[in-house]
Amino acid sequence: MTEPLIRFNRASLGYDGKAPLLTKVDLEIRGGEFWGILGHNGSGKTTILKTALGLIPSLRGKLAVKGVRFGYVPQKERLDPIYPLSARDVAEMGTYRKLELFSGLRGRGRADVVRRCLAECGASAFSERRFSDLSGGQKQRVLLARALAAEPEILVLDEPLAGIDITTQQALLALLASLKGRLDLTIMMVSHRVRAEKGLFTHLAWVDEGRVTTGPAAEMLSTGRLAEIFRSEL
Amino acid sequence: MSVILEMLSPDFLLHHAIWGSVVVGFVCPLVGVYFVLRRLVFWGVALPQVSASGIAFAFMLQGLGLTILEGGESGERHLAIAGAVVFTLGTILVLAALERRGRGLSEGRIGALYALASAATILFVAWNAAGETEMLGLLKGEIVSISERDFHAMLNVFGAVAVAMFLFQREFTLVSYDRDMAVTLGRSALAWDALLFLIIGVTISLGVMTVGPLVIFGFLVIPPLAALPWSRGMASFSVLASLLGGFSAFAGFYVSYTRDLPLGPVVICAACAVYAVSLSARRLC
Repeated sequence: MTEPLIRFNRASLGYDGKAPLLTKVDLEIRGGEFWGILGHNGSGKTTILKTALGLIPSLRGKLAVKGVRFGYVPQKERLDPIYPLSARDVAEMGTYRKLELFSGLRGRGRADVVRRCLAECGASAFSERRFSDLSGGQKQRVLLARALAAEPEILVLDEPLAGIDITTQQALLALLASLKGRLDLTIMMVSHRVRAEKGLFTHLAWVDEGRVTTGPAAEMLSTGRLAEIFRSEL
Repeated sequence: MSVILEMLSPDFLLHHAIWGSVVVGFVCPLVGVYFVLRRLVFWGVALPQVSASGIAFAFMLQGLGLTILEGGESGERHLAIAGAVVFTLGTILVLAALERRGRGLSEGRIGALYALASAATILFVAWNAAGETEMLGLLKGEIVSISERDFHAMLNVFGAVAVAMFLFQREFTLVSYDRDMAVTLGRSALAWDALLFLIIGVTISLGVMTVGPLVIFGFLVIPPLAALPWSRGMASFSVLASLLGGFSAFAGFYVSYTRDLPLGPVVICAACAVYAVSLSARRLC
């Protein structure tokens, strides 16, 4: 079995100065896996992502991240629409890993990377439009392109299907499946529903009442509380 | 037309005043765009006033005999700059820390800070044993009487600010727009924020000394607001805001000179007129 890219070992997660949201979290994510982080609103799903990304520290226990490059797709509502940025400008941010002077990616090179990522995500047609004017599905495609421009090993998505109609959700999921296959990506994705995504996930983490239960998707969806919820969604 | 040619002449009596105003008009909007985008417009009101209170505090110490810097008028100016920079940067540090904690009402903090800084400025002036009139001139901005040496020092600092704002535009935009993304890319959001706030602090401190707190607030906020509806991308936003600021400063100086009106208020009125035209034209387009 390959070495985990991310390992939580008896970790307590939450925000500094407050009681932990989640305790005794054990989670190992290996290359090529597609993890669904599921749970109710406010259960702590995003906290797991933020801790893995290094945005907030683990309060207790161990978190080991094996020097991987992340591509992060945040909740689109978090990005302020006042910024006069085009879709291409937003996607280009994925290439800002290093200071311009030292990046080795200047002018045409940077533009080529961004153009390729926008094309892979089906976002070329609206790349010159203002990002804040795009529909939810279009924004999600641009944010995916931005994450790909960071040349990630792990793609981390926070509620990418929230506020998007069913047809667009299915198109985005098909795009994710295709990107995962072509680019050999590992994916962590937060969602509060199971139905639409169930065929994609290889593993699931169920976040409920301060605890995290993990396992292979097929197993998790056949027994226990998550299986009950999944059946009720159907 | 002849008046404009006269104003542009190197022999013009108020040569330093006009170019000083125009440079402030060009550079302040470059940092002001981040006040607008980060929705910190009220910082633009409060920080120039804090800077003014720093100037008043430094002079009060001097008046009380606590001499820090020697060297006559030049020493006094350096003292004023030191007071402005220390007060402004200290305040930015505290405000930024409070914003990051995300507790309390941000607007309430800024309102209280503005009231405190205004009151403190008046009290520091009242407690100053000497030179009240001269100090009041400094607090209002004494661009008309700026010396050759100070004018060139101002040009150098504002030139460096402009270069830094364009050189690091990608980084400042990234940490302002999506801080979490910056961190996942391995960038130090804290360090880039610190650099941006340092530049803002220096710009405001020097600007307040040059044209006064009212004009600095106007230049920080009004040209970016006028430019925003027409902007496509951060580069065009910054350049357009800067051009509108420079134009407002020049137009304001022209009206002030030809109508014998006080410079600061006229410049602000000119910037507001540009803003009104921008909004009206946007509605028509």
